[in-house]
Amino acid sequence: MAQRLHFSSSSRPSPSLPTPNPVAASSKPNRLAFNFSFLPHPTTPTRLCFGTTNRRRLTVASDESAGGPGKKPLLEVRDLKAVIAETGQEILKGVNLVVNEGEVHAIMGKNGSGKSTFSKVLVGHPHYEVTGGSVVFKGENLLDMEPEDRSLAGLFMSFQSPVEIPGVSNSDFLNMAYNARRRKLGLPELGPIEFYAYLFPKLELVNMKSDFLNRNVNEGFSGGERKRNEILQLAVLEADLSVLDEIDSGLDVDALQDVAKAVNGLLTPKKSVLMVTHYRRLLEFIQPSFVHIMEDGRIIRTGDMNIVSLLEKEGYKAMSTS
Amino acid sequence: MSALACTPVVLRTPISVKSSFACQPRPKYRTSVSLAAAPATQIGFSDPFVLQLAETLEDSLSPSPLTSLQNLRDASSESLLSTPWPSRRDEAFRFTDTSLIRQAQILPVTQPPHVGKLAIGSEDTNFSHLFIADGFLMNSIPNASSLPDGVFVGSLLSDSSLGIRDKLSSFISDFQWGDMFWSLNGLGAPDVAVIYVPAGVRVETPIHLKYLSVEARESGSKVLPLSNPRVVVVVEDGGEIGIIEEFVSSEGNENKCYWTNSVLEVVIGKGAQVKHSYVQNQSFNSAHIKWTSVKQESTSRYELVEASSGAKLSRHNLHIQQLGPDTETEVSTFHLSAGDQTQDLHSRLIFDHPRAYSRQLHKCIIAHSSGQAVFDGNVRVNRYAQQTDAGQLTRSLLLEPRATVNVKPNLQIIADDVKCSHGAAISDLEEAQLFYMRARGVDLNTARKALVFSFGKEVVDRLPHSYLRKGVEKQVKEVLGRLAAGPTTGHRGRRKRSSRRAAATRLNKKDDGGGGEVGGQFAWPPKLRSFL
Repeated sequence: MAQRLHFSSSSRPSPSLPTPNPVAASSKPNRLAFNFSFLPHPTTPTRLCFGTTNRRRLTVASDESAGGPGKKPLLEVRDLKAVIAETGQEILKGVNLVVNEGEVHAIMGKNGSGKSTFSKVLVGHPHYEVTGGSVVFKGENLLDMEPEDRSLAGLFMSFQSPVEIPGVSNSDFLNMAYNARRRKLGLPELGPIEFYAYLFPKLELVNMKSDFLNRNVNEGFSGGERKRNEILQLAVLEADLSVLDEIDSGLDVDALQDVAKAVNGLLTPKKSVLMVTHYRRLLEFIQPSFVHIMEDGRIIRTGDMNIVSLLEKEGYKAMSTS
Repeated sequence: MSALACTPVVLRTPISVKSSFACQPRPKYRTSVSLAAAPATQIGFSDPFVLQLAETLEDSLSPSPLTSLQNLRDASSESLLSTPWPSRRDEAFRFTDTSLIRQAQILPVTQPPHVGKLAIGSEDTNFSHLFIADGFLMNSIPNASSLPDGVFVGSLLSDSSLGIRDKLSSFISDFQWGDMFWSLNGLGAPDVAVIYVPAGVRVETPIHLKYLSVEARESGSKVLPLSNPRVVVVVEDGGEIGIIEEFVSSEGNENKCYWTNSVLEVVIGKGAQVKHSYVQNQSFNSAHIKWTSVKQESTSRYELVEASSGAKLSRHNLHIQQLGPDTETEVSTFHLSAGDQTQDLHSRLIFDHPRAYSRQLHKCIIAHSSGQAVFDGNVRVNRYAQQTDAGQLTRSLLLEPRATVNVKPNLQIIADDVKCSHGAAISDLEEAQLFYMRARGVDLNTARKALVFSFGKEVVDRLPHSYLRKGVEKQVKEVLGRLAAGPTTGHRGRRKRSSRRAAATRLNKKDDGGGGEVGGQFAWPPKLRSFL
């Protein structure tokens, strides 16, 4: 507890406190929110990357040795550089990020700063090529893995504009994906009927009717339905780290609440969420532990919800101050 | 009739078979033949191969007691005199290589097979089954069965068809658009199966025509048994019927060689409806040539759903002639070429009357580097066919390097108040869709299979009967599953795209004629533009 006031260490109390942390903005035990003031120098020794350029890059590092019940890092991104495969144009210029288990991170930034590229590179999109840096997910090198292996390892990305797959029904698709996961875990695969039994409560979680299962994947779906379909897939696949790329774009207030409720319902102390968004609205529903500002291919600032307020008041130019 | 080679035949005057070969010196000039708007007539060079084949066919059959059948044979043999074997220089066969048939020794099947060889009667008894083995009808539907009164399903030669024959003779008129294969069938068909629906009668259970190929030779033997099944369907005004045609090899013949040259003529009266399903699943070493000629009277409706995945050379000629206004025509075809196969659809829709509605959807998948598909979709909207609404769409999926598809949608429109459209798309699987599936944990191979399968599903789902759908789905899955699995390279974020392409080499083994393992690795196919 005392470490909480010690800003030079970046340890934090265990998220599964029986009594809610009074400092935390949220009252729900599942959600983590920290008041975290601006760190001029990261002081914890391990796994931090120091920038050599003028721009200060800060990472939120988790350190098991800093005490408290250990927070295992789920995703560690070190100096990730990536280019567009076709043109060679550099988009990510050294991203550093660590996401621990049970944390909710948000990335905001101007258009063209590389937020979506970052999430796509994490998932392994063929349009981008990594030219430097490393990404370790659950102790494994993520960049060497094929997209399907990354998904089976527990990484899920919800696409900004999910594509239609006419001819493949939603239920078949989810069944295929879920069985792939079960195969990986060494569990027996589910037939259609058992799978439906498994699926039905998840449908209720995302507030979708069962008739949509017979429709083809995203075919004729509105924007909100597509996003909810993404969250349904997230619920079915039970991923450990969900990367939500602009899950709020194109959603009306009600749909947004549904989505936020579903995501919150899926959070556990072992699972993390990384959200890419433009607006404060989503962050009010899904409370982030950390908010990162990305600019020009790098994360330039990290904070909490206070940053968001600052951002809304003064815009991104206020973020560039070093 | 004696065979003469390369005698220029003057076409202006009608020539009877007997007199043309009398010893009259013919002037050695070639008259020019004006090509009318109707079918182009061939300048008559008698092709010795064709003549020999025609002779063999004639000798194999005894003269028919039925005048209509004998007239058909005479007319066919006459036209065969002046019809050469189609070559690649003929527009209709520009992309279709018929050497599989041309270079083989063709043996017409002369006798119906033994009934014991066939598994008749073990089928789903909900439908009426008509078995046609090697062109010979093996059974007929007794009238006491589930068919309504007045409906006749059986052979033209059988005695019970007496009342029908007169009616039929008015319907079977001369077909101007036939080609050499049409005439071969006319000459060599031993029997004609007839399905007759009187006016106003609605036939609830569909008639399932099962074409079996019993006579076959081992692959590589260069001998092709030829069978000529011929079926005529006449539906009088207001009648309704469903017809299912299924072309299969009989048991044990799944890899053998044979040639099925079949013709189906459909005449649809005013306000009548015909739902036609056509499934072709022959041996991978066989040849399959089929003609479907449909005549639609006013306000009639014709629906065709086709799924062809067998045969080394498969060609479907579809001709739909409109004889009255306000007709509806829906044609959906699915071709799968998963080996060293050629799947060909040549369709022609002719509109001469106003307010027709037609939609044509053609989908083909070529999943092998020696596979080929051909589509020629001709739609003629002639002068009096005002307010026609005709649409045509063809989509092809090329999954392997060097797989070939030749599509030629062509609309010939003379009327000026019409709505016609045509579209063609040829592509590989969409990368965005593949990536979406991969990002959900579905491995590349399964994702490809699912997407390929779903491509054809759009047409296969239109088959009106679920047992047909399931059969076709099972067949497609089996055929696609036989292709060797797995890409040789996957996507790695660090590797450059160019090296990924270079690494996508393939082993290209020719189909070893067994129809079993179709050779080749299923590599990540390069983008289409790498061919350009």
